[in-house]
Amino acid sequence: MASFTPYTYIQCPCYDLSNQTRHSDGSPSPTSQDLPDDDDEDHAFDPRSPRFNYSLYPLEYLLYCVDCHQIRCPRCVSEELVTIYCPSCLFEVGSSSVKTEGNRCTRSCFQCPICVGPLAVQSLESAPEASLLSVDNAAASGPTGPWALTCSYCNWSSAEVGVKFDKPQGIFAQLSKLRNGSSTGTDVSLTSGDVSPTKRDANIPKPESTRARFSALRTFNQSQLANSNTGSSMAGGIGDYGFSSPAALTRIMSIYSGSTSKPKNKASVMREADVPNEGFRTSNLDESESILKLRAGGYKGTVTMEQAASQVEEGAHFADELWPVASLLRTKRAKRCPACRHILSKPEAKVSNTRWRIRLVAGNHIPSVTIKPLPTPGVPLLSALAPLKPMQYLLTFKNPMFDSIKVTLATPATTPGRFSSKVTILCPQFTVGANSDDYDLNEVLKAEDRDQRDRRREDDGSHQVEAGKVFERGRNWVSIVVEVIPASLQIQPAPSLLQKAGEPEPDLAPLREDEDILEIPMFVRLEWESEPSQDQVGVAPSSKEKDAKEKRELAYWSVLGIGRISQE
Amino acid sequence: MASDPDARPTLAHRSVSNIRAGGQSSARDSTSGAPNTPLARPLSSSVLGSPSSARAEEEIIIIELGCRKLRVGFAGDSTPKRIVAFDSEHDKRAGDYRAWEPGYEHDWRKRTAGKAWGSDHELCQLDVRGQDLGLVGDKLERVLRDTFTRYLLVDSKPRRISLVLPPAAPLPLLSSTLSTLFRNFQIPTISLLSSPAMATFAAGVRSGLVVDIGWNETIVTAVYEFREVQTWRTIRAGKMLLEETRNFLVNAIQGRTAESQVEGESTPKDIISFEECEQVATRMLWCKKSEKTPKQSNTEGLPTLHEADESDTADPAEDSTPTPIHLSSCKPSKTIQVPFSQLAEPCETTFFETRYAPACFDDHELPLHLLIYRGLLQLPLDVRAMCMSRIIFTGGCSNVIGLRGRIFDEVSLLAQEKSWDPIQGKGADAYRNNPKIKRNASRQANDGPIPIIQQTDPSGTSGEEAVPLDPAHAPPEVDEVEEHIRQEKNYRAPVQGVLRAIDSLGPWCGASMATQLKVPALAVIERDIWFQQGVNGASRPNEVDVQAQQKQQRQSMGAGGLIRGQGNQATSWTLGVWGTV
Repeated sequence: MASFTPYTYIQCPCYDLSNQTRHSDGSPSPTSQDLPDDDDEDHAFDPRSPRFNYSLYPLEYLLYCVDCHQIRCPRCVSEELVTIYCPSCLFEVGSSSVKTEGNRCTRSCFQCPICVGPLAVQSLESAPEASLLSVDNAAASGPTGPWALTCSYCNWSSAEVGVKFDKPQGIFAQLSKLRNGSSTGTDVSLTSGDVSPTKRDANIPKPESTRARFSALRTFNQSQLANSNTGSSMAGGIGDYGFSSPAALTRIMSIYSGSTSKPKNKASVMREADVPNEGFRTSNLDESESILKLRAGGYKGTVTMEQAASQVEEGAHFADELWPVASLLRTKRAKRCPACRHILSKPEAKVSNTRWRIRLVAGNHIPSVTIKPLPTPGVPLLSALAPLKPMQYLLTFKNPMFDSIKVTLATPATTPGRFSSKVTILCPQFTVGANSDDYDLNEVLKAEDRDQRDRRREDDGSHQVEAGKVFERGRNWVSIVVEVIPASLQIQPAPSLLQKAGEPEPDLAPLREDEDILEIPMFVRLEWESEPSQDQVGVAPSSKEKDAKEKRELAYWSVLGIGRISQE
Repeated sequence: MASDPDARPTLAHRSVSNIRAGGQSSARDSTSGAPNTPLARPLSSSVLGSPSSARAEEEIIIIELGCRKLRVGFAGDSTPKRIVAFDSEHDKRAGDYRAWEPGYEHDWRKRTAGKAWGSDHELCQLDVRGQDLGLVGDKLERVLRDTFTRYLLVDSKPRRISLVLPPAAPLPLLSSTLSTLFRNFQIPTISLLSSPAMATFAAGVRSGLVVDIGWNETIVTAVYEFREVQTWRTIRAGKMLLEETRNFLVNAIQGRTAESQVEGESTPKDIISFEECEQVATRMLWCKKSEKTPKQSNTEGLPTLHEADESDTADPAEDSTPTPIHLSSCKPSKTIQVPFSQLAEPCETTFFETRYAPACFDDHELPLHLLIYRGLLQLPLDVRAMCMSRIIFTGGCSNVIGLRGRIFDEVSLLAQEKSWDPIQGKGADAYRNNPKIKRNASRQANDGPIPIIQQTDPSGTSGEEAVPLDPAHAPPEVDEVEEHIRQEKNYRAPVQGVLRAIDSLGPWCGASMATQLKVPALAVIERDIWFQQGVNGASRPNEVDVQAQQKQQRQSMGAGGLIRGQGNQATSWTLGVWGTV
């Protein structure tokens, strides 16, 4: 069994809100009707409920809004784009070109469709020649001939699927030309998003690729809409004024040409597309070729689902239908508090710089919890918890703030779920000293030294674990003891004598994933007094007492993963 | 549904008001909650300015919602930016990196213990009883946020969303989805589009029979002029196919033949993992041709010649060369050798099951070809004529090689054998073949290679038809309106009455195109109203007086020039077909 590292998860308080709205929206959902008693249990915090997987975060994932004094999780921040760039060539891309050209790098960054390795442009012809040529010759002529994208990891080459390039630059454009038909005219009209009616009559080749078909079909529909709109009454013409240019054009023309030439009242019928140029295609139902191909290629000749999923367009089935995948652009994002618009984190705009300008991590504002087993003399430490044997764990709260905080903890006496272990926090209320940065390191070290010596002297007699008392205390940290009695993981029906009539059937399903982990739900409430924040002083200047401290509190649920209970 | 104005893409003025409302409500977001007087609407640049300005700022996101997959992208794109397949990796806690530990894949038995087969890989079940709808919302939220961040590269600005849904999406699910979207993403309006209508739109036609072979069920929908006329469904779809594949693979692993297995007994679920089963199913399954091929209709042109090698000439259906398939999730990992012809078996049992008489099947488990045939048979005559020549296959399982052709052939066979006669059985046959009561009426329906709808089938309504002047033979009256339509310069007679399958770009592409062309959606839900009223605030679609609504809009348009009133959107809004309980 893999070793287990104790962990702490924190639930962002934004969860509660969402839970309430879900209940109050009063949807006549069958769940609430069928299981009315489930609603009450919902409020008890069960970390194993599948929904909580979506709202529990490690401390490192959380941000903290210093204005609202709230934890902000990735679900409750609003984001702004700072930079869009290609992770492969680190080229910065403007947001407007993302809109027109898509979310992939349009330079020569490609990923292998078989593995995920980066592809390099290599000449197909002159690779053997290069070694023979002398240096100056090579510089003069260079490798020529068709080029292909090759993967240096799995040796896949785009020549395998018949993709070769004339020149080693602008691979993306060449590839999209190969893929979407040679006509660049359709591409232009596609990206500009505005197809003028004249272009429609241009010689569009029979559309083969999805993209070409899509644009053909769209042009067709647009022309049909325009036709039917001009045919309809004046109101209809106004109605779509400004939105479909052909209609607008005819309307303007009709204004200038005077009211004498009214548009035809006869509404023309919208017809269906029925030629390939209009994007229409009958299905090719005879797929015997594919069957033969499947037989010839076997299992290895088909693409795995992961490979198919990484393709830009869906529908690849055989290995020779895989195209190089242009690498996906990435973004740097600034995050704001949704309530007060305060910036929570802001990265440096430069692509190559990985620093943050502003980053308000929750780790600087709420105490971190570390868990370790309290060694009891005589009992060897096991990797797994023995069921039904009391174990003591040391929780260390470390205060990152410059104010001392009062911590109040609460846990249910038994953990929720099928296997309920008993949990006792020996000291649920304590104060953690402030973290200060204006100390002299030497003094601190000396003080700590002294502390330890003192403690050792105290401990010499008895290493007492006492209820209501802090186990250990430092300058800005406090350790307390929590005692657990792990439940037994045996699944057996209760003796029929003990079963009450009204009780639901006990759940006798086999052990589910992670059900053997002892997880303690713990409600943490923090209270501290801090300087009034700058904003509030600005709002109400010279109010009553300037140096009065403001009382703050923060409360959240957290989950402590203690360890695995061993199964006998 | 017949009174739905939205199916017609000509009502452009409605779309304008929607768009403007969308822009407005984003500005109003901060003052949401309290009832407020509609802000005075200035003549915004989008009305009088250049048309391109309206386009530039609009960036509508299209989401196609399925039980297994989610397609997300921008309106106007030809392909979705991302297709998400739900899997068990999506429901991990943040910061859970155990998937990278060595040996993680081999622990799948432990992870799936106590869960329904494949339930990790679904967004939701269609049976919402006892389902945690909050969990559905959470799953959706996480996947969408990830997609928006990594693939769409958008920030949290308000943008509109078009949601493509199967028409029978359960109301609680829809409610949960809408709540999630409105609450977690700054969305001013969500429009709902129906996926069969969009699939027909993406095929370039206005009517069609959409056969959506999906995950939970296969839905056959007859769409006529973008209106869903009728739907039929069967559970023979992806889920069943995967279960058949599992049975098939487990038998192969254990060295049993399919015959030795007891009928109806399903194999244990912990022998091979769902993921691997799906791999094999998507990669290797194929579908045999039907045993009797229907008489070729000459619409297809010449049959394609197979220029196959000499070695390949054997019919794949009889080919027993073993195909190696490496399976790593069984214990120990094993390479099974399956005769190629047998790889068509799961498809056969899932979708066709020709061994049994049609009477054996319950209503919910009709084989596909039978379902399509019966569906067509139930349709009104002219609708059938249009639909039968516009059969559109969509859905994930329609990609199984040969499946579409097979279904089509089976349907043509059925139509040839039985014609389009709703009365079947021995009695009807005897009656038909009885020379004594044979009328002199010529029955042409059975003569053509493919049954052609020309006149009402007289066999069902006999009796009075013995009169010498058979109205079926009277020349039809000249319809002046039709004559006018025929004289239009762009008129081309629609293909009808012939069985024909056409290719669609899929519902997502249809929605993308429709949204870009400003086709009004079936239902538009606004954020504020949703938060105020929730799902119960939606009026029944038939309660909303569409005509009055249109009238009012039109009037205000005439009176105030270009300034339009808000309509009565605030008072009555619907969920379209999804609101009908």
